Amino acid sequence: MKNLNRRQFLKFASVTALAAALQTLVSPLAAAEKFFREPPWKGKKKYWGFAVDIDKCIGCGRCAKACKTENDVPKEPFFFRTWVERYILRRPAGLEVTSPNGGIDGYPALTSPETITKTFFVPKLCNLCDSPPCVQSCPVGATFKSEDGVVLVDRKWCVGCRYCIQACPYGVRYLHPVLHVADKCTLCYHRISRGLRPACVEVCPTGARMHGDLSDPNSPLSKLRDTSHYQTLKPHMGTRPNLVYLNMDQEVR
Amino acid sequence: MDTIQMLYEALPKVAGYIYPNELELQWSVLIVLYPYITGLVAGAFILASLERVFNVTEVKPTYRLSLLVALAFLLVAPIPLNLHLGHPERGFEIFFTPNKTSAMAMFGFVYLWYLLAVLLLEIWLDYRKDIVLWSQCEPFWPKRMVYKLMTLGVSNISERSLSIDDKLGRAITVIGLPSAVLLHGYVGFIFGSVKANPWWSTPLMPVIFLFSAMASGIAGVLLIYMGLCKFRKVLIDIKCVDTIGKYLLSAIVVAFSLEMLELIQMAYEAEEHFDIITLLIEGRLFISMICIQILMGSVTPMLLLGSAQVFRFSEMTRKVIYGLSATLSLIGILAMRWNVVIGGQFFSKSLLGFTTYKLELIGREGALVGAAILVLPFLILAGLLYLLPPWDHCSPTAADRSSK
Amino acid sequence: MKDFQHLLHVAAVFTVAIAAFLAIRHIVVPASFGRLGHYRADAVDEIKALPVLYAGERSCAPCHQEQTKDKSAGPHRTMACESCHGPALTHEAKPKAVHPFRPKEADIRTFCSACHERSLSRPRKFPQIEERKHQTGAPCIMCHPPHRPK
Repeated sequence: MKNLNRRQFLKFASVTALAAALQTLVSPLAAAEKFFREPPWKGKKKYWGFAVDIDKCIGCGRCAKACKTENDVPKEPFFFRTWVERYILRRPAGLEVTSPNGGIDGYPALTSPETITKTFFVPKLCNLCDSPPCVQSCPVGATFKSEDGVVLVDRKWCVGCRYCIQACPYGVRYLHPVLHVADKCTLCYHRISRGLRPACVEVCPTGARMHGDLSDPNSPLSKLRDTSHYQTLKPHMGTRPNLVYLNMDQEVR
Repeated sequence: MDTIQMLYEALPKVAGYIYPNELELQWSVLIVLYPYITGLVAGAFILASLERVFNVTEVKPTYRLSLLVALAFLLVAPIPLNLHLGHPERGFEIFFTPNKTSAMAMFGFVYLWYLLAVLLLEIWLDYRKDIVLWSQCEPFWPKRMVYKLMTLGVSNISERSLSIDDKLGRAITVIGLPSAVLLHGYVGFIFGSVKANPWWSTPLMPVIFLFSAMASGIAGVLLIYMGLCKFRKVLIDIKCVDTIGKYLLSAIVVAFSLEMLELIQMAYEAEEHFDIITLLIEGRLFISMICIQILMGSVTPMLLLGSAQVFRFSEMTRKVIYGLSATLSLIGILAMRWNVVIGGQFFSKSLLGFTTYKLELIGREGALVGAAILVLPFLILAGLLYLLPPWDHCSPTAADRSSK
Repeated sequence: MKDFQHLLHVAAVFTVAIAAFLAIRHIVVPASFGRLGHYRADAVDEIKALPVLYAGERSCAPCHQEQTKDKSAGPHRTMACESCHGPALTHEAKPKAVHPFRPKEADIRTFCSACHERSLSRPRKFPQIEERKHQTGAPCIMCHPPHRPK
């Protein structure tokens, strides 16, 4: 390049500039803009998802209790893989949310029922995010999203730094007080991998909870999603949850 | 006290609604101390680099001291991190399987890089001539053995070798500056990148952390320098502390402006989380933030240091102002770390309630352990000052980088 | 050359340290790490192998055909047996030795109220009563057979 004279340089520069200009004209035509993401289960086999119908939940708390039994979660009221919240909206103003012992022992009687406008129960569990901030933040690779879509914790590798617990916008993680590692709802991975239902789904009396295969368009879960309007929690966070809520009120946090 | 016991006691103190798993604060006072300590490291190093790279000759008397202060605090930095882990014995994993999407994973290599390739190497290169001489003239034989070890078996201190050291040292300081920025900046990013927490999530967080770190490091070295001069009954170089005072003022002004910008913007935009954060600042964080961090730790030192710039005070008054401002800003910056780390965990991610934190006295994450962690660097510094005095030692041709 | 010697010694120290680091890493990091992603692939199988306690609805039917048939015709058909009777996998393994939970007669009203106590928060169409007013003293199953309540 050193001994380029002026003419050669101008020739080179103009050809390059022309090529670049043509590229900008051609590329918008070549690549149509895509305003949606491909589903993560394309090509993969099973891909687990979950749906909760808020209109069916009666707040009996059996799901939370069965989860603790099935998964050997400490019984104290500070560690939950799943829990049920009660929302009470009042007129003229007032939003009360409670979850005494995760809903396992029921809820206290409603005060001043004449001021209540809406009240309902909301079960909570791992949101099965497609872009899980917990996985992103784990410094050592102890938490990960399995190939079939479940976010899991490697108990033998977790160092207990608690960063994943900070990163989860939904508060579904906790530090196991005995094992000193992060713990969370695993969708009863040990059960669903054997064709069983998660413990919470199993014991729910009204069928408010449903798990299923998102990659199969004919699974009950896929059919439910295709025929109902649903919402996810905190969509502005960009976590892309695979936990969907039917009949969810705006006030649900 | 047992964790479960503490949680039962905390349960009735919850205000509003928190997610059931949020009763227990995840990060305790140990995680408040870690950014504080790495901040002191970064700040002390930047003060040292002022002389080396930017040729601010007035601060020469504190050059070697700054490096030793940085090293003393850097050695203590991993301790609070490891102590708070659920499995401290697995701490090595961060070196062997760091997750490249995790801000926290950066700790392993940024720390090692900064300790080995920047700080230790720079200190060694700067002291090498003295180390070689001390390895020959030191009368106390165990100390002489240590010096001999530190020479790495080479006793050549010819002009040329020393000029190589000088050039290399300068290059390392130049690399060291962004390394120091990274060492503390990544800590800010650890918090700033947590989108789930609106008190933490901001692009300004690494910058705020960095400038308040610089303020704390400069204040720390200033106090240590003045304290050591008094202890050694040596005159304080007034030009030196005047210059350091100016840099301290600048650092505090920038840090304060960024912190205020953060709050003003948050108040102006008034997003969904604004209500709970208002309650946080007016309630649980009122004393530690408004009173200690802002009024006592930022505004007062700015006024004091600013007045020393505007008015002509006597040397004695100026020294008192510097000492007082440095102390207040060190307390204020510790409060800032508390307000960020603990404050961010007080309110629920449901934005509907608060939990509580009781700093225990004893226990792995208690106040006594915290105090020990803050005292330990000074003990290490004493050891370093004994081994590598920044001032004259037995050798008559001690390096001319020493202070008066 | 002699003037660079000390730097060569430093480089040697660093080289030894890095080599030791890599060697230790090779020994300590489990073999399955990184196979499927940035995690220990063996962990997936370890989690799959965790113990199961709830047997699942399908397990009860083969031995308890009468109750299953009863239930399938009534409003409790959406409920799994273990919802009321608790985890039953050990019972399935040793049916005579281990019996699943069954509420005592004195506790039945409390037990059924957990779901059926009237609450505004519950769906309006869901069958609810006010326990302290509804047939006080009588156990629910006196009028409402549990597997096929009316």
